[in-house]
Amino acid sequence: MNTALSQQELSNLLDEAVREVTEQTAGVQLFPSGETPNENLCTVHISFSKGFHTSLTLCADTELVFRMARNALGEEELTQQDMEDFCKEYFNILCGKIAAILFRETSVPARFSIPAFYHGRYTPENHQTQFMLTYADAQKEGAQLTHHVPR
Amino acid sequence: MAKRVMVVDDSRMICMQMKNLLQGTDYEVAAYCRDGEEAVAQYGEVAPDLVTMDIIMPGMDGLEAAQAILEDYPDAKILMVSSLAYDDTFKEAEQIGAKGFIDKPFVKEKLLEAFQDALQDA
Repeated sequence: MNTALSQQELSNLLDEAVREVTEQTAGVQLFPSGETPNENLCTVHISFSKGFHTSLTLCADTELVFRMARNALGEEELTQQDMEDFCKEYFNILCGKIAAILFRETSVPARFSIPAFYHGRYTPENHQTQFMLTYADAQKEGAQLTHHVPR
Repeated sequence: MAKRVMVVDDSRMICMQMKNLLQGTDYEVAAYCRDGEEAVAQYGEVAPDLVTMDIIMPGMDGLEAAQAILEDYPDAKILMVSSLAYDDTFKEAEQIGAKGFIDKPFVKEKLLEAFQDALQDA
């Protein structure tokens, strides 16, 4: 993101937000991992505007997202649509938290788009990856937050 | 007797979280509405003690719905809910007559504090 923050500072802030929001909304603890999730994936994407012109995606093992959704909703039997709805709301909350943290650190207000859900791995067009944060939960299922900047 | 809360949010997850957080407290979820139109239509019948109203929803958004409810029921206690809001949104909500803001993700202690403040501010 085009802020006065260094990439490392931004990475630390995003990491803080991901872990906190994931635990608060879905009761799942995420830990840093060296293994990129690569099977049965889904991705949720949000674009930032007004102050920050970047994108964030979260790509995760679908089973991890289902588990998060089951925890959040308190229901065992969920449909694919339930999972997608959860995923979008979770990422909406996460990006709200990120925008609030960025505002606290930079005094620059940001807005962001409605979350979009994709099956598989998704990369926004005309963007390149700046950095990625890779996680796994206690059951070794993975998630990866990617910060994309315009080419 | 538990205070009755109407939850207005396009995400069912938020309603479920609210139900879970309010278990064992002096509050209960009395009704759930998925958008602003539904909230306006149901408010009179449900007659909740308190409304939590998401701001960004498809169709009629939370600020419009809060305004419509308060026009008909000036004593309604409405707390706006958002994952992201800045000063302009706070001011607009205050002008409409909302009783405060709750951030997502919910933190139980803050949520109950906001409920208490809204109901005391009668």
